Amino acid sequence: MDKIPPVNRHKPIAGQSPGEARLLAMVAALASELAVTRERLDTVERLAEDAGLLSRAGIETFTPTAEQAEERDGLRRRLIDRVFRALRDDTRLKGE
Amino acid sequence: MPQDHVMLPSASHDEAAEQYFVRDLKVYLTEAIEPQFRERAQALDPGPASNARVETVYERLHEDEDFRAWAMLRRTSQDMLWAEIADSVGRQADVLNALAADAPATGSLTLDPDFVQPPYLAKGDVHLMPGGYAHDIGGVEQGAIMDRGGAVYMLGRNGGLMNDVRGHTLVSHLYTLYPDFAPARILELGCGIGASLIPVATAFPEAEVHGVDVGASMLRYALARARHLGATVHLAQDNAERTRFPDKSFDLVFSCVLLHETSPDAIDRIMEESHRLLKPGGIVAHLEVPQRYDQMDLWGKIRGEIEADYNNEPNWKAAISADYAALLKAAGFRDVAVGYQSATSSPVRGEGRFSDQSEGVFRSWFVASARK
Repeated sequence: MDKIPPVNRHKPIAGQSPGEARLLAMVAALASELAVTRERLDTVERLAEDAGLLSRAGIETFTPTAEQAEERDGLRRRLIDRVFRALRDDTRLKGE
Repeated sequence: MPQDHVMLPSASHDEAAEQYFVRDLKVYLTEAIEPQFRERAQALDPGPASNARVETVYERLHEDEDFRAWAMLRRTSQDMLWAEIADSVGRQADVLNALAADAPATGSLTLDPDFVQPPYLAKGDVHLMPGGYAHDIGGVEQGAIMDRGGAVYMLGRNGGLMNDVRGHTLVSHLYTLYPDFAPARILELGCGIGASLIPVATAFPEAEVHGVDVGASMLRYALARARHLGATVHLAQDNAERTRFPDKSFDLVFSCVLLHETSPDAIDRIMEESHRLLKPGGIVAHLEVPQRYDQMDLWGKIRGEIEADYNNEPNWKAAISADYAALLKAAGFRDVAVGYQSATSSPVRGEGRFSDQSEGVFRSWFVASARK
């Protein structure tokens, strides 16, 4: 992810505040993350249903192991990076 | 998403989902939102009496918060596309570089470590692809990003994952206008990842086929892609305005959607270079987008400004305004033909159609061709 260079000539939308631009970028990224998650959940539910594995009550009472919780931490942090990438990129550019 | 050739980066479950999302977001912004701004542009039109119609409307549209939000989301969707694909290619970079190393050893690649990209490319990354065409971290990565990006962007259109309709359409043009033409040596200027070069090489299997481009990674990927697809091509890192080849080296010199990524001066020089490189009697053919600036409505012209400013497409207007017949004649060519070739993915001799009327975007391509 850090190997990707910043875009050369990223012209701001004339008259738009940087804050609004950033917020729109975050909202779009967030929507993308949600779409991906929904699609993955749909896959999981369909496969589980086909295999006779899924029970709604089981989802509600599930508790992750320590290792599973660590994996979930990774997923969540990746999501945060994706959603707030615009802010990260802006602050990096200003730091250069 | 299905794969059509082994070098094309694959997509995991989640990568495919996010690539579909960005494609559908682009479609939504174009189909559900854009028509409102076409209407607003018409309402803001100062009329034919104004000598700055497009500029006036473009400026007035920016006063509208909705327009700015839409323009920003359009640009964001493009940023998202490249970021997602770059991540996906990064994940499988070792596999892709190993596949490139394992390809049959046909054709050749000549890189120039001292190569400097032309100033119009150094000015901004075309289509906002981070790093631009010339970016290189030593492997096939940037080429893979370009190929997958084109595939996602053009999904279901323009040749789908192979993105090779333009090359086939150029072959169809040659079959239509020069039915007895059998080139022994062929050069494509600005071959990129070789999407157009391979259909041309396949149509003329006896020919020695060359391609030049500014990007080392692009060319490494193009060679591996061609090798795995069974095409023999010789690629070199070079500038289309002045290549390494001696005078009268080729029977066919062509380009596919190159000119609108260059500059007005570069278009002139590419015409001159095409003439220098051709043997007497050789054919030049430049394929471009089918829009013509003077025939576009107000919104089409506004959209061009949006693309130039916010998608780094700065030479689009010049390329679709240029008088190619005059440029080719000025470069010394004769028998100049300028018009629209019907798009095809399976060119057949005697069946191509070339006329002075475009059938529309993705159905026709503009072609300017001539003989030296």
